[in-house]
Amino acid sequence: MRENLRRPGFLPLYAFTLVLWLIVMSPFAVVVLGAFLQTTFLGLSTEQWARGGDGESLFSVKWFGYVWGLYRGTLLFSVKLALLSVLLCLLIGVPGGMVLARRQFPGRDLLESIVLLPLSLPGIALSIGILQAFAIVRGEWWLILAGHLLYTLPFMVRMVMDALRSFDVAALETAARSLGAGYWQRLRWVVLPNLRHAMVAASLLVFCVSWGEFNISFLLNTPLNQTFPAALYATYTTNSFQVSSAATVIFLGVVVPALMAIQWLGGGRGVKLEQGV
Amino acid sequence: MEAAPLATGAGPRRRAWELLLALPLAVVFAAFLLYPILTILLTSLKPGSGVLHSGGGGSSSHTIFSNYLELFRDPIYCEAMLHSLVLSASVALGATLLCLGPAWLFARYEFPGKRLMRAGFALPMSLSGILVGFLAVIMLGRVGFIPQMSQGLTGKAWLSGAAYQLSGLVIAYLYFEIPRGVVTLESALSKFDPRLDAAARSLGASRWQRFLWIVLPLIAPALVATFAVTFSVSLGSFGVALVLSKRFSVLPLELFHQVVAITNFPLASAMAVFLIALALALNFALGRWMRRHFSLRHA
Repeated sequence: MRENLRRPGFLPLYAFTLVLWLIVMSPFAVVVLGAFLQTTFLGLSTEQWARGGDGESLFSVKWFGYVWGLYRGTLLFSVKLALLSVLLCLLIGVPGGMVLARRQFPGRDLLESIVLLPLSLPGIALSIGILQAFAIVRGEWWLILAGHLLYTLPFMVRMVMDALRSFDVAALETAARSLGAGYWQRLRWVVLPNLRHAMVAASLLVFCVSWGEFNISFLLNTPLNQTFPAALYATYTTNSFQVSSAATVIFLGVVVPALMAIQWLGGGRGVKLEQGV
Repeated sequence: MEAAPLATGAGPRRRAWELLLALPLAVVFAAFLLYPILTILLTSLKPGSGVLHSGGGGSSSHTIFSNYLELFRDPIYCEAMLHSLVLSASVALGATLLCLGPAWLFARYEFPGKRLMRAGFALPMSLSGILVGFLAVIMLGRVGFIPQMSQGLTGKAWLSGAAYQLSGLVIAYLYFEIPRGVVTLESALSKFDPRLDAAARSLGASRWQRFLWIVLPLIAPALVATFAVTFSVSLGSFGVALVLSKRFSVLPLELFHQVVAITNFPLASAMAVFLIALALALNFALGRWMRRHFSLRHA
């Protein structure tokens, strides 16, 4: 590692990257400050700082209480959607990915490219499609869930397939069979244990994607079934800077730990979020 | 020879019913991807139906491609399309060039704090566009952080309200494209063989000569892939523009207005078909180009 630091080109590259990194990180710092500071502006007006000394505390969590009161329903709805997305992705995506990775059958390549397709299609275009195709049940909560599955299943399937292709699962299975293990025994004791890592990382990613999904949620929602990102948009357009910041901090408070965990699990290299903005 | 049946996994006793495990996956994508795409294809061929629709008043002037004709003839939509293409292209170019530095650093060097840095770069990727738009407003809005700070420090509010101008839109797009570019480029650059560079150095090539003649041709496919990915994502992005754009319209935003404000679903569908076709064509062209490029290299 020390040698690396002396290699030519390291310092300018590092300096450039650090500056870019700080630029990328700076808005998050401002948002967190804005959510906690008791000021009308950005926490930079000197009067407010001065008044902070007169008994009135400069820091406050009151905006969080306000956001909780206002958007509790949407928060819980988004958590429910995200958890159900994870569950359904595990139930549908893991078996599907296993079949796609281990079997050859007519239409296999077609199915794989269709499953991965949503990652490279504009979310707004697909949302319009779902909106029209299922106009009769618009506003039903399960339709939003189905839309989320469209954007989360590709990640689960791809990570399961990548994991199965990264080691010689066929050789392991053959060895297990030669030892007398039946189909379900091999699945339980050979294949699934090797998939555990990918399944955990993919579940976290699925949770994040569903939690932050905006296009489908925004076009399909009704006042009764509103997701938190859709509520965030309403906050940005109608509420004050502090309330918006507090809501954003709540949003980030869920996403950031999950993303850190994905990075920590080493999934970061394989994880590519291609669409969804 | 003996390894051949083993490599296919199932051996002599293939279980046909195992394929049924993929059935739910196929059903979900048939119902919620293929059927909706088919629906918008068909809807886009119907006469326009918006509350503000002024397309002739009757079905007499309607041909099946009239929505597409309107899309390509109406100056407003043409401008939005042009904006989309130019904005996406410039953002993709900027992101590809800017992320070359971090991607090279992450791919070639080990240093303390690398993990934290990479995690930080990965963060904006998973934020929805509206959130990135909001971040742009708090940094570059009329009372944003940067104008206020510069007001306090220099007496002049630099970049006040920039978020709502074209520059703010470009910065916000770059904000979520640079991380995406870093991830895409890093995985490609980590496959670059440093011995080639070392060989050129031992032959007396200068740093710029090596970059121009050794490194650049080898990483060109990765650069093209990064450009294509960031271009395609920018083209379909709509949350950022929804929050920031006041006058500068992009095609996804026009599409959204067609649905929400004018309820002209046929025209909105034509726009959606156009966006999907563009994304598919880009994807297809990139795949072909990459395959040909690599097969030539290996030949």
